[in-house]
Amino acid sequence: MPDLNAIRTEAKRLLAEGVVDVVVAFKAGETPLHPQPAFFRSADEVDQLVYDGLCQNNLATFLTRVPKQSKVGMVVRGCENRSVNALVVEKQKNRADLFLIGVPCEGILDWQKIVGEVGETVKSVKENGQNLMIETKAGYQLLERHDFLHESCKRCIHPNPMSADILIGEALQEGDPNLARTAVETFEDQTIEDRYAWFQKEAERCIRCYACRQACPMCYCEECFVDHIEPRWSESGATPAGMQGWHIVRAFHQTGRCTSCGACERACPMDIKMTYLTEKLNHDMREKYNFEPGLDAQTQPPFAAVTLDDKNRFSV
Amino acid sequence: MQSNGRSLYTPIPMHVLRAYYESTDRSLKTLELSFDHAENSHAFFEAFNPGQFCLLSVAGKGESALGVASAAWEGDFVRFTAQNVGSVTSALHKLKAGDAIGMRGPMGNGFPLEDWKGKNLVIIGGGCAFSTLYALTKHVHHEDHRDDYGKLILVYGTRTSGLCMYKHDIAAWHENEDMEIHQAIDVPEENWQHHVGYVPDVVRQVAPSPDNAVAVVCGPPIMTKFTLPALDELGFAPEAIFTSLEKRMKCGVGKCGRCNLGPQYICKDGPVFSLAELNALPADL
Amino acid sequence: MNLILEKQALQDLLQSWRQNYDVYLPQKLERFSHFMPLTETSVLVTDEPHNTRIPPKSLFLPMTEALVKFTRYGGYEDARHEIQPRIVFGIRPCDAQAVQLLDTSFIQDEYTDPLWLERREKTITIGLGCHEPCLNGFCTTVGYGPFNKADLDAILTDMGDVYLVETFSQAGDACFQGLPVAAEETYQEALAVQHSAHDQMPVAFETENLKEKLEQNFKNNYWDEVSQSCLGCGVCTFLCPTCFCFDIVDETQRRERVRNWDSCMFRTYSLEASGHNPRPSRVERTRQRISHKFVYWLDQVNQIGCTGCGRCVRYCPVGLDIRSMLRQAHSLPFEVSHAI
Repeated sequence: MPDLNAIRTEAKRLLAEGVVDVVVAFKAGETPLHPQPAFFRSADEVDQLVYDGLCQNNLATFLTRVPKQSKVGMVVRGCENRSVNALVVEKQKNRADLFLIGVPCEGILDWQKIVGEVGETVKSVKENGQNLMIETKAGYQLLERHDFLHESCKRCIHPNPMSADILIGEALQEGDPNLARTAVETFEDQTIEDRYAWFQKEAERCIRCYACRQACPMCYCEECFVDHIEPRWSESGATPAGMQGWHIVRAFHQTGRCTSCGACERACPMDIKMTYLTEKLNHDMREKYNFEPGLDAQTQPPFAAVTLDDKNRFSV
Repeated sequence: MQSNGRSLYTPIPMHVLRAYYESTDRSLKTLELSFDHAENSHAFFEAFNPGQFCLLSVAGKGESALGVASAAWEGDFVRFTAQNVGSVTSALHKLKAGDAIGMRGPMGNGFPLEDWKGKNLVIIGGGCAFSTLYALTKHVHHEDHRDDYGKLILVYGTRTSGLCMYKHDIAAWHENEDMEIHQAIDVPEENWQHHVGYVPDVVRQVAPSPDNAVAVVCGPPIMTKFTLPALDELGFAPEAIFTSLEKRMKCGVGKCGRCNLGPQYICKDGPVFSLAELNALPADL
Repeated sequence: MNLILEKQALQDLLQSWRQNYDVYLPQKLERFSHFMPLTETSVLVTDEPHNTRIPPKSLFLPMTEALVKFTRYGGYEDARHEIQPRIVFGIRPCDAQAVQLLDTSFIQDEYTDPLWLERREKTITIGLGCHEPCLNGFCTTVGYGPFNKADLDAILTDMGDVYLVETFSQAGDACFQGLPVAAEETYQEALAVQHSAHDQMPVAFETENLKEKLEQNFKNNYWDEVSQSCLGCGVCTFLCPTCFCFDIVDETQRRERVRNWDSCMFRTYSLEASGHNPRPSRVERTRQRISHKFVYWLDQVNQIGCTGCGRCVRYCPVGLDIRSMLRQAHSLPFEVSHAI
């Protein structure tokens, strides 16, 4: 875990020196399992800033929700840094108006897995290297940290922020790209019937609350396609056509843009596994175009870039 | 609200009797609808009160809330004027005489006509929100009801003369000694014989007396917002000022939730409120 | 009547109800429990320390249902729904209370929602009290409780090997016909369990003057502060047992007009055709959601429109907690603000 004091010191400096107007980070929530995104606007508020493995949101999603001209400081992990880069590429924010406090990420903890293991009465969670020390009503329990990670974090390739303005803590070893590849290929190896059955089973739990969309930094459209009235692009209700249509089109809109942060899955109240869709698209982007979204703040996603020497003519 | 054994949400069948453009720019279209079944007609007119609205339904497009622009005495039909703003109203604009259409209503409270008896009425309208005021004026002005009320003063403003609705009646009312009518447009036009200026200013100019009078204001939000202080200056008490509110509506019967203003649903508890009532509600419009 | 039901006899009893009723009860779905129809192999989930993820309001107001059918030549007819007599078993008191609250909106003389009414009339609700109250819940704070009996035909109290069954209606009596009557002593024990559960619940926030505080601070920047990290998703409202807003949409291909759950937290909820939106940001939408429950419901039926189930607390993706929001609201000063 990066040193919290070092993060706070940097955040305080940014605000005190007027480098940024706001620092977007986390603060403690009502329970230890739910830290909240927080907006610090003066140095003396920064003592409330926290950072731990339970901070489950991708803070980059707030980048398009603060006033466009404001200068923003943000605590970023690898995925958040990639999302910020992708948003800069899409001209949603000037990189010059940002100051990124980078923290290498050991993976985000799934609070539901923890509660499933130790029960509801979690009083505190201490992270110590590979271990978790959980305090409950019944006493202390020592858990293996890796077992309680979100699945998307287990497959993470780039845990380190690649273009932070300051890095707090030591960079971690990069993740194994084979894990992401294997996850996609294992799914692909199933029969088409099995894949469709899986898709149906996941999509049918959808309640169309759009937490996945709202949690996603790349879903910043003023009007989402599902909200469009004329023409209507998708069936509106919680029907198979409506739910499947939503998940498919949501995923396709992420092609070459999804940074594999998994925030959509973590926000879903119905535990729908949906990153397998975006992961397939990310996989194809890596394999066919040698592209990973957000690795820098300049390169356009392959489907957004048109060059004169494109092999295929674009039919619009 | 009529059911005839139908669900709250199922429209009754109607047909377009007449359809015609109301404004020279064709942004406003009037539809006069007749009932397919006599029992629906009876139920409608039994319940109808000027100031109420209906939901007009185009299958496949949805429903749109429109104020009723006709008085009961006019005959066995219901008139609406729709501004072409959304997908439903644009479908409504495509309708012609003989086309089938669905309708739910009448909905809402309407104007408190009983309470207004014996009083002078100051009716202030702007733009296409004038439709229910037109129904109100036609009702009050009818020989059966005219004696129930005192003076009748009408202020009606539109952006241009071409946007003035119900021109035939308006012209006739100018000739009528039984009422006082002040028409206004926003910017000067050739051969325009009436006021030029915004409705709040015209109201100040006309300066109707607040004595034993009620003022009814329906118009675009910005007009209403600036007319209320003008009435206040003239001495109208909040209890004597009425307005009709609009918000996005779906069910029309206080179920779907979206048109609430504090604890009140505009569709069911409104759309007509006195300023005194509004002052007690949150500013959520 | 107070009866005794052996836990091991429960499965047979549930199965026996299937002859005459559709029986719904919480069953495992992924990592949570969900009200699903009882089959021969269904496993009842009662040991979950928390509630079903989707509240049972969905049994009365489905997420999506047709209201109107479009006929040929531009006509309309009521959409038909076959609604069988049902028993909802294992409903928690907070959720049963919520259904009672929703009755006040859906059942009103001339404006009664026919589908809601029919489902309510055909449903027997059998509650399961919370002898180990959940941690996110705050039912006692809002005036209800872990053994609240509103709107139940019967309620069960877990007493180890047996349930004490209290019945409150003829339908409830009929469901448990033939069970032995509980001794007074056992009943007293059950009451002790109920009181102890009640007493375990902490006071999450003060409700006295809360309505006035919220009303008078309608324009306070408190609302900006508490809505800052809100994502604007529909989790809190869709999982809320008392949220009932719906949208009405025409599904052309199915030739139906349907209603879908809708949320005041969505941008499109109050967006008008003209482009005007009375609640243009998450600030106004958050204010609407909280005010509806803690101000407007009180104005309408003199009851708080929140039953303290804690779902919004537990599943908010950004950890927003209505309990702390309301604690903060309660510390606001009295102010004065007016409509137009």
